[in-house]
Amino acid sequence: MAEVLGSFEQAVLLAIVRLREGAYGRAILKEVQERMERDVAAGAVHATLVRLERKSLITSSLGPGTPIRGGRARRFYRLQPVGLRALNDARAAVDDLWRGLEWPLKGYA
Amino acid sequence: MSVDATPPGWAEVLLRAFLTAGDSDSVSGDLLEQYRESVRPARGRRRADLWYVKEVLGFVWRSARLWAAVFAVAFLARTALDWLVPPADFHARANVSTLLGAGIVLLAGFWAASRSGSFVAGPVIGVATAAIAAPIEVMGAATLLAGWHDPITMAAIRGSGGLEEVLTLPLLLVLPGIVLGTLGGLLGAAVKRLRSA
Repeated sequence: MAEVLGSFEQAVLLAIVRLREGAYGRAILKEVQERMERDVAAGAVHATLVRLERKSLITSSLGPGTPIRGGRARRFYRLQPVGLRALNDARAAVDDLWRGLEWPLKGYA
Repeated sequence: MSVDATPPGWAEVLLRAFLTAGDSDSVSGDLLEQYRESVRPARGRRRADLWYVKEVLGFVWRSARLWAAVFAVAFLARTALDWLVPPADFHARANVSTLLGAGIVLLAGFWAASRSGSFVAGPVIGVATAAIAAPIEVMGAATLLAGWHDPITMAAIRGSGGLEEVLTLPLLLVLPGIVLGTLGGLLGAAVKRLRSA
Protein backbone atom coordinates (compact mmCIF):
# COMPACT_ATOMS: atom_id res chain seq x y z
CA MET A 1 0.00 0.00 0.00
CA ALA A 2 1.31 3.45 -0.89
CA GLU A 3 2.19 6.04 1.71
CA VAL A 4 -0.70 8.22 2.96
CA LEU A 5 0.38 11.85 2.72
CA GLY A 6 -0.64 14.77 4.88
CA SER A 7 -1.46 18.07 3.16
CA PHE A 8 1.85 19.69 4.15
CA GLU A 9 3.77 16.68 2.85
CA GLN A 10 1.88 17.03 -0.44
CA ALA A 11 2.76 20.74 -0.59
CA VAL A 12 6.46 19.95 -0.12
CA LEU A 13 6.44 17.11 -2.66
CA LEU A 14 4.59 19.22 -5.21
CA ALA A 15 7.13 22.01 -4.71
CA ILE A 16 9.88 19.50 -5.53
CA VAL A 17 7.95 18.45 -8.66
CA ARG A 18 7.54 22.07 -9.78
CA LEU A 19 11.13 23.11 -9.07
CA ARG A 20 12.64 20.07 -10.84
CA GLU A 21 16.45 20.46 -10.87
CA GLY A 22 16.28 23.56 -8.67
CA ALA A 23 14.60 21.90 -5.68
CA TYR A 24 16.80 22.82 -2.72
CA GLY A 25 15.78 23.86 0.80
CA ARG A 26 15.29 27.60 0.38
CA ALA A 27 13.57 27.28 -3.03
CA ILE A 28 11.20 24.63 -1.66
CA LEU A 29 10.35 26.83 1.33
CA LYS A 30 9.62 29.80 -0.96
CA GLU A 31 7.46 27.69 -3.28
CA VAL A 32 5.48 26.21 -0.36
CA GLN A 33 4.93 29.68 1.14
CA GLU A 34 3.69 31.07 -2.17
CA ARG A 35 1.34 28.16 -2.84
CA MET A 36 -0.04 28.04 0.70
CA GLU A 37 -0.17 31.84 0.89
CA ARG A 38 1.19 31.94 4.42
CA ASP A 39 4.44 32.13 6.35
CA VAL A 40 6.00 28.73 6.87
CA ALA A 41 8.91 28.08 9.24
CA ALA A 42 12.10 26.74 7.67
CA GLY A 43 12.16 24.13 10.46
CA ALA A 44 8.77 22.78 9.41
CA VAL A 45 9.90 22.27 5.82
CA HIS A 46 13.21 20.77 6.94
CA ALA A 47 11.50 18.32 9.31
CA THR A 48 9.13 17.28 6.50
CA LEU A 49 11.98 16.79 4.03
CA VAL A 50 13.84 14.62 6.55
CA ARG A 51 10.69 12.55 7.13
CA LEU A 52 9.97 12.14 3.40
CA GLU A 53 13.55 11.08 2.76
CA ARG A 54 13.38 8.57 5.62
CA LYS A 55 10.26 7.11 3.96
CA SER A 56 12.22 6.93 0.66
CA LEU A 57 9.74 9.20 -1.13
CA ILE A 58 12.60 11.54 -2.05
CA THR A 59 16.38 11.43 -2.17
CA SER A 60 18.88 14.25 -1.71
CA SER A 61 22.37 15.20 -2.72
CA LEU A 62 24.65 18.13 -1.96
CA GLY A 63 25.43 20.76 -4.58
CA PRO A 64 27.69 23.80 -4.66
CA GLY A 65 27.00 26.87 -2.55
CA THR A 66 26.79 30.49 -3.66
CA PRO A 67 28.34 33.67 -2.23
CA ILE A 68 24.98 34.80 -0.79
CA ARG A 69 24.93 31.63 1.34
CA GLY A 70 28.52 32.13 2.45
CA GLY A 71 29.56 29.34 0.08
CA ARG A 72 27.62 26.75 2.06
CA ALA A 73 26.43 23.69 0.16
CA ARG A 74 22.84 23.36 -1.05
CA ARG A 75 20.93 20.12 -0.55
CA PHE A 76 18.93 19.26 -3.67
CA TYR A 77 15.93 16.94 -3.49
CA ARG A 78 14.52 14.58 -6.11
CA LEU A 79 11.20 12.79 -6.18
CA GLN A 80 11.38 8.98 -6.22
CA PRO A 81 8.88 6.61 -7.87
CA VAL A 82 7.36 5.83 -4.45
CA GLY A 83 6.85 9.56 -3.89
CA LEU A 84 5.27 10.00 -7.31
CA ARG A 85 2.87 7.11 -6.60
CA ALA A 86 2.00 8.58 -3.19
CA LEU A 87 1.20 11.96 -4.78
CA ASN A 88 -0.97 10.35 -7.47
CA ASP A 89 -2.79 8.29 -4.82
CA ALA A 90 -3.39 11.41 -2.72
CA ARG A 91 -4.91 13.21 -5.70
CA ALA A 92 -7.02 10.17 -6.63
CA ALA A 93 -8.34 9.92 -3.06
CA VAL A 94 -9.52 13.55 -3.15
CA ASP A 95 -11.05 13.07 -6.62
CA ASP A 96 -12.93 9.99 -5.32
CA LEU A 97 -14.36 12.01 -2.44
CA TRP A 98 -15.59 14.72 -4.82
CA ARG A 99 -16.93 12.43 -7.55
CA GLY A 100 -20.54 13.33 -8.47
CA LEU A 101 -20.38 16.76 -6.84
CA GLU A 102 -19.93 20.02 -8.66
CA TRP A 103 -17.33 22.50 -7.37
CA PRO A 104 -17.87 25.04 -5.87
CA LEU A 105 -20.64 23.52 -3.76
CA LYS A 106 -23.89 25.47 -3.84
CA GLY A 107 -27.26 25.00 -2.18
CA TYR A 108 -26.35 22.25 0.32
CA ALA A 109 -26.25 24.42 3.41
CA MET B 1 21.08 42.53 -0.87
CA SER B 2 24.42 42.20 0.91
CA VAL B 3 26.72 39.21 1.07
CA ASP B 4 28.30 40.67 4.22
CA ALA B 5 25.19 40.89 6.39
CA THR B 6 25.29 38.29 9.14
CA PRO B 7 22.69 37.11 11.62
CA PRO B 8 23.58 36.91 15.35
CA GLY B 9 26.52 34.53 15.76
CA TRP B 10 25.12 32.88 18.90
CA ALA B 11 21.89 32.05 17.06
CA GLU B 12 23.83 30.35 14.31
CA VAL B 13 25.78 28.31 16.87
CA LEU B 14 22.44 27.31 18.40
CA LEU B 15 21.00 26.39 15.00
CA ARG B 16 23.96 24.16 14.16
CA ALA B 17 23.68 22.51 17.59
CA PHE B 18 20.26 21.22 16.55
CA LEU B 19 21.21 19.96 13.10
CA THR B 20 22.93 16.76 12.10
CA ALA B 21 26.40 17.12 10.60
CA GLY B 22 24.96 16.34 7.14
CA ASP B 23 22.39 19.16 7.35
CA SER B 24 24.44 21.75 9.23
CA ASP B 25 25.84 23.59 6.19
CA SER B 26 22.86 23.22 3.88
CA VAL B 27 20.20 24.34 6.38
CA SER B 28 22.25 27.18 7.88
CA GLY B 29 23.06 28.21 4.29
CA ASP B 30 19.35 28.24 3.39
CA LEU B 31 18.58 30.49 6.34
CA LEU B 32 21.55 32.76 5.63
CA GLU B 33 20.46 33.06 1.99
CA GLN B 34 16.94 34.04 3.01
CA TYR B 35 18.29 36.45 5.65
CA ARG B 36 20.56 38.22 3.16
CA GLU B 37 18.38 38.06 0.06
CA SER B 38 14.93 38.95 1.31
CA VAL B 39 14.51 39.44 5.08
CA ARG B 40 17.32 41.91 5.85
CA PRO B 41 16.67 44.22 2.86
CA ALA B 42 12.93 44.26 3.61
CA ARG B 43 12.94 44.52 7.41
CA GLY B 44 16.24 46.07 8.44
CA ARG B 45 18.86 44.63 10.76
CA ARG B 46 16.98 44.43 14.06
CA ARG B 47 13.82 42.84 12.75
CA ALA B 48 15.80 40.54 10.45
CA ASP B 49 17.83 39.34 13.47
CA LEU B 50 14.57 38.73 15.35
CA TRP B 51 13.25 36.74 12.39
CA TYR B 52 16.43 34.66 12.35
CA VAL B 53 16.24 33.94 16.09
CA LYS B 54 12.57 32.95 15.72
CA GLU B 55 13.45 30.52 12.92
CA VAL B 56 16.22 29.00 15.04
CA LEU B 57 13.86 28.63 18.01
CA GLY B 58 11.54 26.76 15.65
CA PHE B 59 14.26 24.13 15.21
CA VAL B 60 14.75 23.94 18.99
CA TRP B 61 10.98 23.61 19.52
CA ARG B 62 10.73 20.77 17.01
CA SER B 63 13.56 18.91 18.72
CA ALA B 64 12.26 19.42 22.26
CA ARG B 65 8.50 19.02 21.93
CA LEU B 66 8.39 15.23 21.99
CA TRP B 67 10.68 15.08 25.03
CA ALA B 68 8.54 17.74 26.69
CA ALA B 69 5.40 15.69 26.03
CA VAL B 70 6.99 12.58 27.56
CA PHE B 71 8.21 14.61 30.54
CA ALA B 72 4.75 16.15 31.07
CA VAL B 73 3.02 12.76 30.82
CA ALA B 74 5.42 11.32 33.43
CA PHE B 75 4.76 14.28 35.73
CA LEU B 76 0.99 14.03 35.32
CA ALA B 77 1.00 10.26 35.84
CA ARG B 78 2.89 10.83 39.10
CA THR B 79 0.39 13.51 40.14
CA ALA B 80 -2.62 11.34 39.24
CA LEU B 81 -1.24 8.37 41.16
CA ASP B 82 -0.47 10.55 44.20
CA TRP B 83 -3.98 11.98 44.21
CA LEU B 84 -6.10 9.01 43.18
CA VAL B 85 -4.12 5.97 44.36
CA PRO B 86 -1.89 7.39 47.11
CA PRO B 87 1.16 5.18 47.66
CA ALA B 88 1.89 3.81 51.12
CA ASP B 89 5.48 5.03 50.86
CA PHE B 90 5.85 8.51 49.30
CA HIS B 91 9.63 8.34 49.67
CA ALA B 92 9.94 5.38 47.30
CA ARG B 93 7.50 6.99 44.85
CA ALA B 94 9.42 10.26 44.97
CA ASN B 95 12.68 8.45 44.20
CA VAL B 96 11.17 6.66 41.21
CA SER B 97 9.50 9.77 39.75
CA THR B 98 12.60 11.93 40.29
CA LEU B 99 14.82 9.37 38.59
CA LEU B 100 12.34 9.03 35.72
CA GLY B 101 12.13 12.81 35.18
CA ALA B 102 15.90 13.21 35.40
CA GLY B 103 16.38 10.30 33.01
CA ILE B 104 14.08 11.86 30.41
CA VAL B 105 15.95 15.21 30.43
CA LEU B 106 19.35 13.48 30.49
CA LEU B 107 18.33 11.37 27.51
CA ALA B 108 16.99 14.42 25.65
CA GLY B 109 20.35 16.19 26.12
CA PHE B 110 22.24 13.09 25.07
CA TRP B 111 20.08 12.59 21.98
CA ALA B 112 20.29 16.21 20.81
CA ALA B 113 24.05 16.47 21.31
CA SER B 114 24.80 13.09 19.76
CA ARG B 115 23.02 14.19 16.55
CA SER B 116 25.01 17.38 16.06
CA GLY B 117 28.14 16.68 18.09
CA SER B 118 27.64 19.97 19.95
CA PHE B 119 27.14 19.82 23.72
CA VAL B 120 25.35 23.18 23.50
CA ALA B 121 22.26 21.27 22.39
CA GLY B 122 22.16 19.60 25.84
CA PRO B 123 21.44 22.53 28.17
CA VAL B 124 19.19 24.17 25.58
CA ILE B 125 17.02 21.10 25.09
CA GLY B 126 17.02 20.59 28.87
CA VAL B 127 15.58 24.06 29.44
CA ALA B 128 13.23 23.78 26.47
CA THR B 129 11.91 20.40 27.62
CA ALA B 130 11.16 21.65 31.14
CA ALA B 131 9.78 24.99 29.89
CA ILE B 132 7.48 23.48 27.25
CA ALA B 133 6.31 20.79 29.70
CA ALA B 134 5.56 23.26 32.53
CA PRO B 135 2.28 24.75 31.20
CA ILE B 136 1.09 21.27 30.13
CA GLU B 137 1.77 19.97 33.64
CA VAL B 138 0.04 22.88 35.36
CA MET B 139 -3.00 22.68 33.05
CA GLY B 140 -3.11 18.91 33.41
CA ALA B 141 -3.03 19.15 37.20
CA ALA B 142 -5.76 21.81 37.12
CA THR B 143 -7.88 19.52 34.92
CA LEU B 144 -7.36 16.63 37.34
CA LEU B 145 -8.39 18.89 40.21
CA ALA B 146 -11.51 20.01 38.35
CA GLY B 147 -12.53 16.37 37.93
CA TRP B 148 -11.57 15.03 41.34
CA HIS B 149 -11.95 17.35 44.34
CA ASP B 150 -13.88 15.16 46.80
CA PRO B 151 -12.70 15.18 50.43
CA ILE B 152 -10.73 11.90 50.06
CA THR B 153 -8.82 13.21 47.03
CA MET B 154 -8.22 16.58 48.72
CA ALA B 155 -6.76 14.74 51.71
CA ALA B 156 -4.53 12.73 49.35
CA ILE B 157 -3.39 15.97 47.67
CA ARG B 158 -2.47 17.48 51.05
CA GLY B 159 -0.66 14.27 52.01
CA SER B 160 1.43 14.25 48.81
CA GLY B 161 2.88 17.73 49.22
CA GLY B 162 -0.15 19.87 48.50
CA LEU B 163 -1.43 21.79 45.51
CA GLU B 164 1.34 24.34 45.83
CA GLU B 165 3.98 21.74 45.03
CA VAL B 166 2.17 20.50 41.94
CA LEU B 167 1.64 24.01 40.59
CA THR B 168 5.13 25.40 41.31
CA LEU B 169 7.35 22.36 40.77
CA PRO B 170 7.04 22.49 36.93
CA LEU B 171 8.55 26.00 36.94
CA LEU B 172 11.30 25.05 39.38
CA LEU B 173 12.30 22.11 37.16
CA VAL B 174 13.77 24.47 34.55
CA LEU B 175 16.98 24.84 36.58
CA PRO B 176 17.67 21.10 36.99
CA GLY B 177 16.77 20.89 33.30
CA ILE B 178 19.87 22.97 32.48
CA VAL B 179 22.14 20.83 34.65
CA LEU B 180 20.81 17.46 33.47
CA GLY B 181 20.63 18.61 29.85
CA THR B 182 24.26 19.75 30.08
CA LEU B 183 25.32 16.38 31.47
CA GLY B 184 23.44 14.56 28.74
CA GLY B 185 24.85 16.97 26.17
CA LEU B 186 28.44 16.40 27.28
CA LEU B 187 27.92 12.63 27.10
CA GLY B 188 26.20 12.84 23.71
CA ALA B 189 28.89 15.07 22.20
CA ALA B 190 31.62 12.78 23.55
CA VAL B 191 29.92 9.69 22.07
CA LYS B 192 29.51 11.48 18.73
CA ARG B 193 33.19 12.39 18.71
CA LEU B 194 34.25 8.83 19.61
CA ARG B 195 32.09 7.47 16.80
CA SER B 196 33.54 9.93 14.29
CA ALA B 197 37.14 9.27 15.34
